[in-house]
Amino acid sequence: MVVLAKLRKVSTRFALSLTAALIPGLASGGSDLASLHLGLAQFALDTHDPAAVLRYTRNATTEAERLVRAKALLVTGSHQEAERLLKELIEGQYYRGQAALLLAELPTDSGDNKTREYLETASKRASGSDRQKALYRLAEIEREAGHTDRAGKVLASMEPGYWAALGYMNIAADYGRQDRNPSRALVALRVALAMSEEDVDSQRSQELISRLLVRAGYLAYDHGDYEKAIGFLEKIPLESYSTSHGLYLHGLALSASGNQRAAMQSWHRAKKYPLAYPGVANAWLGTGRGYDLAGYLGQAGEAYLAANASYESERVTLRKLADQIRQKGAYQALVLDARNSEAQWFLADNRTLTQPRTAYLIRFIEQPAAQAAVNRVAELKEMRQTLHQREDSLAVFRGAISERLGPVGHNVDGGPFNEEIKELVQRLANLKARTISPAQQEALKGVARTLADLKASVGRLDGRLKKKDRKLNELMTRTDHALERIRTVRRTADALLSRAESELDELALAYVEEQDHRMAFALDRTEQQIAHLYEYLALENLERGQP
Amino acid sequence: MVAGAQQTVTVRRQGRVAWPVIVAMLVACLFGLTRSAFAESLDQEIDRLKADVADLSQTLYQLEENVLYPVDTQVAVFLTLRNREGLDLDSVELYLNDTPVASHLYTDQERDSLKQGGVQRLYIGNLPHGAHQLKAVLTARSANERFVRREATHQFRKRPGESRIQMSLDAAAPDYEPVVSFQEWK
Repeated sequence: MVVLAKLRKVSTRFALSLTAALIPGLASGGSDLASLHLGLAQFALDTHDPAAVLRYTRNATTEAERLVRAKALLVTGSHQEAERLLKELIEGQYYRGQAALLLAELPTDSGDNKTREYLETASKRASGSDRQKALYRLAEIEREAGHTDRAGKVLASMEPGYWAALGYMNIAADYGRQDRNPSRALVALRVALAMSEEDVDSQRSQELISRLLVRAGYLAYDHGDYEKAIGFLEKIPLESYSTSHGLYLHGLALSASGNQRAAMQSWHRAKKYPLAYPGVANAWLGTGRGYDLAGYLGQAGEAYLAANASYESERVTLRKLADQIRQKGAYQALVLDARNSEAQWFLADNRTLTQPRTAYLIRFIEQPAAQAAVNRVAELKEMRQTLHQREDSLAVFRGAISERLGPVGHNVDGGPFNEEIKELVQRLANLKARTISPAQQEALKGVARTLADLKASVGRLDGRLKKKDRKLNELMTRTDHALERIRTVRRTADALLSRAESELDELALAYVEEQDHRMAFALDRTEQQIAHLYEYLALENLERGQP
Repeated sequence: MVAGAQQTVTVRRQGRVAWPVIVAMLVACLFGLTRSAFAESLDQEIDRLKADVADLSQTLYQLEENVLYPVDTQVAVFLTLRNREGLDLDSVELYLNDTPVASHLYTDQERDSLKQGGVQRLYIGNLPHGAHQLKAVLTARSANERFVRREATHQFRKRPGESRIQMSLDAAAPDYEPVVSFQEWK
């Protein structure tokens, strides 16, 4: 045991000397190593570290490695190189479908025909969700060209699930616009509902079902089928994003069928949501209208005045939001501040939907242009932060390297180590003669192997120490180059961030202005209703006053 | 004649009204086009920047590895799942010679990635030549809804060159008992 302890001490000292010598190098390759690198690359891709993926797949040879690399290249914006790899894969054996789908998602110069060709390949060669996505996109191409029947045929060949449900939802929207009779659209929506129930992602399924129910409810209401509309709308879960819209439509259907009291209950519930959500502003107005229709004119007036006050206060909120966007920028005012809402994590349930700022953020983010603009700013901010951290780390490395330059302070030439190893080998030989049990023999064999390793390393140490300063200087030069590159890239990132932020600010301000117009319009409507009500009451009084 | 004159005036008025509208529409179209072209060029520049950052990141990684983990003393520990459905991993802690060196709490995304064949590098560091002990403590939920905590140890000898230790986790039906196996790669 004393030998083992001493050996560990020697090897630790030696390891430290080796670290001081800083000898870089790379291990040799092999098929096992390739599979390890593929697994590491896959994990890095799934955990959003594309740079690591590119590192692990720099010598990609197998199709699996090339696919993972192509995906990472797409994430890092190297579309041309990704396209080249994907075109190779499409001619390969195993990933033709996935490669075709990824190629279809790339912007092409050759137009829709090439995209359709890729999608057709993907629909034949891919499996699972990739195949369904390809079929959905093919159906969308047909639908957008006005061939709803052909789109329907493509959708009929799909497996039940999210993509099929989306396809039927879009077809239902087309039918709703084209037909006077809602039956085709409602059938398509019912199919979409059934398809969505088969979605494996339960949260996504619930969200889509809520949207489908709102559409079906509206369609039925619009065509005067109030009972059917109420049936659809009552199925919307209360914690869904579409609830406020559903409640408003539910109130409308109830009101149209003569049940003003129940209608007002629905609108009253819709009024609990922020005015940013669809249907809420109308629900405020609806309450007044409901009282009016039920014959309670006094309450109707109060409800209109309450709606008025609510719209006025919302306009103040919107003006404040616009000021904050101008002062802090849209990303801070709308995205970060909404994220840092005061709701504690243990209260963060569906009530977070009732935060006005979150509501405006969600509604804003519904627009694809806004999504892209926010995404640009978020990506650039993250990039800048990463670069900043990298710069800090490199500065520390640089310091560490410069400390190691020059003569080594302590005794690290091979001589003393050789003496110690020699002594240990001698003691090992003595012990070997006395060992009896196989376990002891095995332990001594291990010690002998380590001593042999140490001896070999000590043999190389002198040579390495001679090269130490040259190697460290090389590392220093590389570090300096890297620092310079980081600074250049950071300057570019800063410039792009400022452009991306101003574009987002512009979009956000336009959105807030649009919301303000919406509130002003709602305000106008309530004022008209109030005027109409007072006029009616005045006429009534006049009539009563007449003999 | 009067009617004709009136008609001419009307046509002129229409012309006067139509031109500003057409100009406004053209300006709006141009503004829209400029805006989308602006967004497109910004996207392209961001893509170029992302590619530069990814390239830089690889250079830096290589540099860091060379500075921090010289090959002769380098040890890396990896984790893989052998059975996809047997376990839902919650956490892993690693100890080298009884010293805690790494711990990780898993997100759904990471669990899914491991189930799909992903390999996680749990630890990279330096060790002197000779005998060492690696201990892993894992907590997980097995497919039969049991919460399990298991410890596994592995004795290994650090030799010159990179040492890679792959830790594989398996839990086979029907009891889904976690089994940890170690494999050393050179």
